[in-house]
Amino acid sequence: MKGFKVLLKKEICEIIRNKRLMILMAIFVLVGIMNPTIAKLTPKLYELMSEDFAEQGITVSAVKVTAMDSWSQFVKNVPTVLIVLLIMFSGIYTTEYSKGTLIPLLTKGLSRSSVVLSKLAVMLLVWSIGICLCFEITYFYSDFYWDNSVVSKLFFAAFCWWLFGVFMISCIVFFSSFAGSGIQVMLGTGAVYFSMTLIGMYNKAKEYLPVRITDSVSLYKGEYEPKDYFGAVIVTAMLSFVFVLVSLPITHKRQI
Amino acid sequence: MNVLEVKEIKKSFGSKKVLDGVSFSVPDNCIFGFIGRNGAGKTTTMRAILGLLKTDGGEINVCGERARYGCTPKSGCIGYLPDVPEFYGYMNAHEYLKLCGEISGMGSSELKTRISELLELVGLDKEKHRIKGYSRGMKQRLGIAQAMINRPKLLICDEPTSALDPVGRKDILDIISAAKEQTSVVFSTHILSDVERICSCVAFLEGGKTAFSGSLEEIRAVRGNTALELTIVEPNDIERISSAFPDGRVNDGKFILPQASEKDCADLMAFLSAQMIPIARLERREADLEDLFMEVIGK
Amino acid sequence: MNENIKEYLPLLIPLIIAQFSLLGYTIYHILKHDNYKRGNRVLWLVVAIIGMQFIGPIIYFIFGKEDE
Repeated sequence: MKGFKVLLKKEICEIIRNKRLMILMAIFVLVGIMNPTIAKLTPKLYELMSEDFAEQGITVSAVKVTAMDSWSQFVKNVPTVLIVLLIMFSGIYTTEYSKGTLIPLLTKGLSRSSVVLSKLAVMLLVWSIGICLCFEITYFYSDFYWDNSVVSKLFFAAFCWWLFGVFMISCIVFFSSFAGSGIQVMLGTGAVYFSMTLIGMYNKAKEYLPVRITDSVSLYKGEYEPKDYFGAVIVTAMLSFVFVLVSLPITHKRQI
Repeated sequence: MNVLEVKEIKKSFGSKKVLDGVSFSVPDNCIFGFIGRNGAGKTTTMRAILGLLKTDGGEINVCGERARYGCTPKSGCIGYLPDVPEFYGYMNAHEYLKLCGEISGMGSSELKTRISELLELVGLDKEKHRIKGYSRGMKQRLGIAQAMINRPKLLICDEPTSALDPVGRKDILDIISAAKEQTSVVFSTHILSDVERICSCVAFLEGGKTAFSGSLEEIRAVRGNTALELTIVEPNDIERISSAFPDGRVNDGKFILPQASEKDCADLMAFLSAQMIPIARLERREADLEDLFMEVIGK
Repeated sequence: MNENIKEYLPLLIPLIIAQFSLLGYTIYHILKHDNYKRGNRVLWLVVAIIGMQFIGPIIYFIFGKEDE
């Protein structure tokens, strides 16, 4: 526990000094502003293009923008930010293992579980703060220009996205316990995502897959209720927990 | 009492046997030289002692406690300097030592004095830059400081001098000598002059086994302490000398009589003058580690 | 048109400030460092400047910035 605290302090110092924290926060803030901006600019873009369309014989009716457009931008852009975050953190374990920076600390009695958990904690911290920032900014502007009340279950949808990010981060923890490089970790995490998408296409299991909870638009439009997501939410939370739990003994046996 | 006892440890990587029964023990307050060629298994042995590597057999006792894979033996007992130490480049030396001290569970006031003490010992007290700009020698010195932060009973240094220039090497050896006051030191190397300079005990590792281990005095006693080295003018005469002194050997045009007593020396000189053999040089030579090393590795 | 612009200002001002400070910091970082994980200074300056305001700096910090 003592080791965990000391190491967490070190991890936070690390992401501040190697600028990862700043870059990620900048992206979260920028995307938070971009979501309503793109929604706001959409009618202007249509206006500009309508002349071209008219020449081709297509008529564009005036578009009415609502908070829904801003939030569908949110759903479109959050995955990109999550991918950037995953890429940035993909090597967080493996570079330390391969460079040997942990050896002096391990020989002083630091437990390997502290290493795994402190890095997990710092990733969760960054993701949680980031997604909150992004959500709040989009929320503020959407309310400022339009009316958020036309969009239902905003907070639950955001929670689902947060949980999905937690799941992807636990994939990083799991693959890092045996992979040799950040690229391998990235490939493993990507493989998990694609296999989930594939299973979801052919199977009734779709309702219980973690990808299910990323379908926020259906929630926004009221087509689905949160209770339709509970199965997937529980599976996602359990899987994340199991991934982290399993990675502890594997890391313990790992040759460092 | 021995601070470290290694008994018959074995380790294979695939079909390659790296360690095949390595045994030695390190007494308290002693600088122990662990000598072997590149790839002889020095690093492997050290990693096994630290619990970073699973052995296939044998027993390691550190401070009287059995060492096992995955757990560091009794925290605070061993300090380790890896062969190429890697640190967090975004920290400075002071911050890094603070991290190390906090991990070994030191109180903040004790840590503060210990850090300034160590930084002065390794000569990094005026260095305010971050570690990423450090030279090899500076990293090696910081490595010693971090290994000693929690006053370990045993300091293990893996080839601390091999990659350094002569000045850097001298600095490191001086620091290790100074460290002897506080702890036992095991250091591996293939540079024999370093061993002669500071070690009081040595072990030779060859073919996965400890070929020899003991104190430097013991080595000298076993080896006898002098050899005669004779350089002659006429190369043809060498055979006549060899046949008269069958104990000797011919090396590089020189005749060498190992473990020569005073009488052997007088006999040789009498023989030379009786046979009228002109000589260029006759020298009594102390047996050094190099002779022993060469003998051990069979060359 | 003027009224229109005013309506967009609450979005555009923070967006522009954020993007330019990110871009400015990235250029400063590139100029201050001599070594990169891959590529060279000119390449990264070009990427940062033409890389659609904020994607360029992100690409630099992920793929170009030297590890410490």
